[in-house]
Amino acid sequence: MTMTKDSVQSVPGEQKTDEALMVQEFDARYGLMPSGEEDFWTASRRTAIKAFAEAGFPSRRTEAYKYTPVTKWLKNNLASSTEKSATSLADTFNDIDGYHYRTTDGQLLDRDAPKLPEGLSIGTLQEMRSSDSSFLETYLSRAVVLERDPFAALASAFADDGIFIRVEKGIHVDQPVVIHHNTLTVGGLAQPRMLIIVEEDASLNVVEHFPEVPAGSSFENRVAEVFIGEKAKMDHVLIFERNEHSSFVNGLFVHQGAESNFKTDTITLGGGLVRNNLNFLPDAEECETHLNGLYVARGSAHIDNHTLVDHAKPNCFSNELFKGIVTDSATGVFNGKVLVRQDAQKTNAYQSSKSIVLDRSAQIYAKPELEIYADDVKCSHGATTGELDEEALFYLRSRGIPEKAARLMLLEAFARDVVDLVDNEAVKQYLYERLHHLLSS
Amino acid sequence: MLEIKNLHVSIEEEQKEILRGLDLKVGPGEVHAIMGPNGSGKSTLASVLAGRDGYEVTEGSISFDGDDLLELEADERAREGLFLAFQYPVELPGVSMSNFLKQAVSSVREHRGLDALSAGDFLKLMKEKASLVHLDPALKARAVNEGFSGGEKKRNEIFQLAMLDPKLAILDETDSGLDIDALRIVADGVNTLRSSDRSFVVITHYQRLLDYIVPDVVHVLVDGKIVLSGDKSLALKLEEHGYDWIRDESALPA
Repeated sequence: MTMTKDSVQSVPGEQKTDEALMVQEFDARYGLMPSGEEDFWTASRRTAIKAFAEAGFPSRRTEAYKYTPVTKWLKNNLASSTEKSATSLADTFNDIDGYHYRTTDGQLLDRDAPKLPEGLSIGTLQEMRSSDSSFLETYLSRAVVLERDPFAALASAFADDGIFIRVEKGIHVDQPVVIHHNTLTVGGLAQPRMLIIVEEDASLNVVEHFPEVPAGSSFENRVAEVFIGEKAKMDHVLIFERNEHSSFVNGLFVHQGAESNFKTDTITLGGGLVRNNLNFLPDAEECETHLNGLYVARGSAHIDNHTLVDHAKPNCFSNELFKGIVTDSATGVFNGKVLVRQDAQKTNAYQSSKSIVLDRSAQIYAKPELEIYADDVKCSHGATTGELDEEALFYLRSRGIPEKAARLMLLEAFARDVVDLVDNEAVKQYLYERLHHLLSS
Repeated sequence: MLEIKNLHVSIEEEQKEILRGLDLKVGPGEVHAIMGPNGSGKSTLASVLAGRDGYEVTEGSISFDGDDLLELEADERAREGLFLAFQYPVELPGVSMSNFLKQAVSSVREHRGLDALSAGDFLKLMKEKASLVHLDPALKARAVNEGFSGGEKKRNEIFQLAMLDPKLAILDETDSGLDIDALRIVADGVNTLRSSDRSFVVITHYQRLLDYIVPDVVHVLVDGKIVLSGDKSLALKLEEHGYDWIRDESALPA
């Protein structure tokens, strides 16, 4: 295979860059040059690897990753999955009513899938390609913005397969789709992919759980694309609870049609490095977008929520609430960008981020960014970072409640704000219990 | 019950002495009123008794039911039976009244060697004590003090007092911001809670409250010291003549 001028070429004897290694691996797997029998997916992979090669892994000088030097965590995990260890899922979510699925590194496991109601189909991307390639082509890689994030580009280039969910026009799915994500990639890089399509006037609830898996370091870089059709509605909850050796870059790209409604509650309770890249494009009028997030960063964890709401059309509403608790020597980062383009008159966009820092060695970087090019809009943002309210603590203690219990009550109350917004009652109760446990220790 | 001797207190960050040799002795079942002009040290006294951070006791002692109060943390004091009704009750968004009271009551009961209350008994107790100050029992689902009116907040303090059954209750300007009806409700609640083994220290700027909560002793606090003590008629005299005559009479240095 000859290398093209665009690709990264290596000089014998010289240490290859991480980027070069990725491109080389891509070449070995898919080929950098088009061959005879091309399909759209392979072509889109090539576009993606090119976008990745141009951008490279972010460095400290990359503005979007200024506070999150991902490569530090990536170093140990660059080799593709070599060492595999059998793990079992802690299946706390089994009791939730819903259509349950299990994945390993983003690949659907169950062949004995639950019986689904008419109009809801769940399978793999490859299955979809076999049965209706042109349908898949309409959506795959159409929401992801490769230039925005090299990790999304990398996952788009490499993910061999992934989850495919489709709700057909007018169908309201009665129960949530509950996805239990496992990873077996220890010491390597897993790149899961997901595509969700909720068609016109349909509705869907999705609960994703990334439970704690036994020790071992993993790096999951996933890309998820979501299309919400006209007047359609989707409610999404993601709970990440992997161990402190786990890294997770979560690229979510949501495209919304007219009068659609999308809500996500992104709850990060574990992980050593977590970067949530949440991107929303309300691409027609009268859209509603709700982004709620909560994270608890402990030990030396680094948790970063990067959100972008790109208001491109008039008369849309977005509301964002992110809360974080950072303790020990952990770091929390919040960067919330709201872009209101010139056409997007009558936009209502609200954003609030609040964090509590419990230790002197813990750190928070919070940066709200409002970029407004329309003149008739209502936008607001607020960011607060502080310690636990001493006066509130004293009030509780003055009623006989010991300091430790009083602190726990205040922290739980702080987090409750976000958990209360989760609609699924069973998930909400699970989160209350998990937070109680997590914040007690 | 409570004995304060030669208490000197400074605010930690300002190095400014607020209490300058305060003496006070409150016996079991007694109600003592402490009156004084703004800045005399009334609220500092309440804060120091309850164990709020930021105050430094440079001299003197406080004994509470035989214990050295200054050796105890704020929550230990409360479990030992000291209660402070706040001048400005704190709003606790996300903390429900029922959870708050459950934790407080069980901490206090456990310390006193009492069995934990069953859920039913706890609800019954809440209902009974809430009615003392005409609080709607539905408040148990609400967050502590959040969205409460000024009057509700003060009534809520007395409600908590009733729930926790303390030996000594300090009311820090409980009358401030209350209209006459709310004042009467609060005072009625307090009067119901008066007993031979519960003492009260009622801190107030105005005599008005003492029409309803009739004290055994009235003390006048000026410039960090108690300069005059007497019976309830002293409060009336203060109401009529203000505080200036005391400075003259007690020949304090200006």
